[in-house]
Amino acid sequence: MNSIKHKGDSIILTQKKNKKEIIDSVVRLLFLITTILSASFIILIIIFISIKGIVPFVTDNNGIGRVDIITFLTGRVWLTGTAFQSNLYSVGFIIINTLYIAFLALMISMPIGVLTALFIAKVAPKKIAEFLRTVVELLASIPSIVYGLFGSGVILVFVYNLAEAFNIQSKGGNSVMATVLVLALMTLPTITAISEVSIRSVGKDIELGSLALGATKTQTNFKVILTSAKSGIFASAILGIGRALGEATAVSLVAGNAKSGPSLGIFDITSTLTSTMLEGLKETTGIDYDIRFSVGIILMIVILITNLILNFIKRKVGNVDVK
Amino acid sequence: MKKIMILSTILVIGFGLTSCGGTSENEFDTSKTITVYTRDTSSGTRAGFMSGIDFKEAAEDNSVLVDGFVTKDNTGILTAMITDEYGIGYISLASLNNTVKGLLFEGVEPNIVNVMNNTYELKRPFNYVLRADGDFDSDEEEQIAKAFIAFIGTIDGADIIADKGAIPLDSTETWDDIKANHSICSGDNSSVTIKFGGSDSIEKIAKALTEAFVPKCGDFVPEHDHTGSSDGFKRTQGSEKDGDSAKHIGFASRPFKDTEQGQDGTQGQLAWDAIVAIVHLNNHLNDVTAEDLKNIFSGTYSKWEDITE
Repeated sequence: MNSIKHKGDSIILTQKKNKKEIIDSVVRLLFLITTILSASFIILIIIFISIKGIVPFVTDNNGIGRVDIITFLTGRVWLTGTAFQSNLYSVGFIIINTLYIAFLALMISMPIGVLTALFIAKVAPKKIAEFLRTVVELLASIPSIVYGLFGSGVILVFVYNLAEAFNIQSKGGNSVMATVLVLALMTLPTITAISEVSIRSVGKDIELGSLALGATKTQTNFKVILTSAKSGIFASAILGIGRALGEATAVSLVAGNAKSGPSLGIFDITSTLTSTMLEGLKETTGIDYDIRFSVGIILMIVILITNLILNFIKRKVGNVDVK
Repeated sequence: MKKIMILSTILVIGFGLTSCGGTSENEFDTSKTITVYTRDTSSGTRAGFMSGIDFKEAAEDNSVLVDGFVTKDNTGILTAMITDEYGIGYISLASLNNTVKGLLFEGVEPNIVNVMNNTYELKRPFNYVLRADGDFDSDEEEQIAKAFIAFIGTIDGADIIADKGAIPLDSTETWDDIKANHSICSGDNSSVTIKFGGSDSIEKIAKALTEAFVPKCGDFVPEHDHTGSSDGFKRTQGSEKDGDSAKHIGFASRPFKDTEQGQDGTQGQLAWDAIVAIVHLNNHLNDVTAEDLKNIFSGTYSKWEDITE
């Protein structure tokens, strides 16, 4: 506001100018309102989850007793004792499971996604690129339950048979591996789409410069274009890991929902923060219901920390830095 | 580039071969470990199953179960048993189909006939309880509540119960045959509210029943608040019968306890919920006892060869 007034002082004030200024400030107010509205929902959600989630730690849960926060964060069994009568909940092993699974999923989807993006943006002929871009966008818009059904119908059978071929008896295919494969599939389109945009936006001059210096197309693609698009590729990883950490429906159909852990073997059954929250949510009450909100708080903290770390690395790695 | 191409081709072929290799073996290997599938602790089916095999402590406590059990929902367990040759789980009888093998329980085949003639034991009753005679706020409430109980016992009510996956008791009359006995239903009852509570396992059935019965009985207002079997008796004739959450009709998805015996004629059964233990079609096991299942779910039997028929 101040700067406008200041400008207004230095320029001759006319009736017209005033009218424009009013419109300007009205529009600005409108933007402010929409921003506050959308931002306040985030705050509302956080407040709601936090209030509900803090209940098990501060009240005695109708005589069951307070949940000890240290045990909650470090334990290796989801619930010791009888449900609705015990306060011995813990998510320590589930946090490890969740991060481990998201990491493995990203290890699969990152290279495939980035190489697909490179192909669509730089290698493929225009028509094929256009077609593939539509396919990727379509994949990104498939709801997670569909991935879950595909996972429980196809991936579980595949993993079960794969384990059998190695003479390992898996639990009906419900495993770390099945979860990782489903999540890799789900994060793939996000990573591909965002990497593709960042690869396409790499300056033509950098590419041509590399070619002019005698580098081959492949050398240019890998050594110049990919390094220049690093920042965008990192952004795709951040969004990808967000989806991997936050997915509930599909995961709960293929994870096996282990109640103790951590599960590090790829054919072991596992569980994630989200699948634990989802399981029995519609049927349970009391502390067993409230504790799911506490898991929600943990999930939000895990996502926040992961994002901060990745953002920090992204800033360190920097933008255009051609070797 | 060539190297990458060759490498990826080898990988693809390798994966293809391994996935084919697994399915061709059909021999059931009894030395394999049993994979136990269960519902989660909030499930009513789990409570019914565990009490049916005399392993009540496992109904809401995971730590007494065998290590490494898999938790899934009803459909999840059913589909898992199509894939997992060495798994065992349990589902409600209504969802049993021929893609899996439903085990005989104590030598009795799991089917509706055997549930009805009381030979199949892996089941739990769905019971109702009314307020005591004369303990209603008004005469209308009492008559509508009794008409509703009468409706449950008709063929119309049985159809709705069966439609929701439970097994209704035998019925011979339709509502049209008996509605003359319930003159209250011919008037306008839109100002009367009837409160239903108790077992949440019966909630879906109770809601479907009231939905069908409301237009047949003067558009009374049904209010459902299902919080668990123990509240069924407590809020109609027990300690909370005059409290804020008092109900006209309560439900319990288990037999009434000795401490829950109310006035004669106010309690009864509306249906059976039968549960069946299922395994993969290749499994040689056909018949289990309650003790077998308890040993499997507690981890005493860890391999299939431990079970002797």
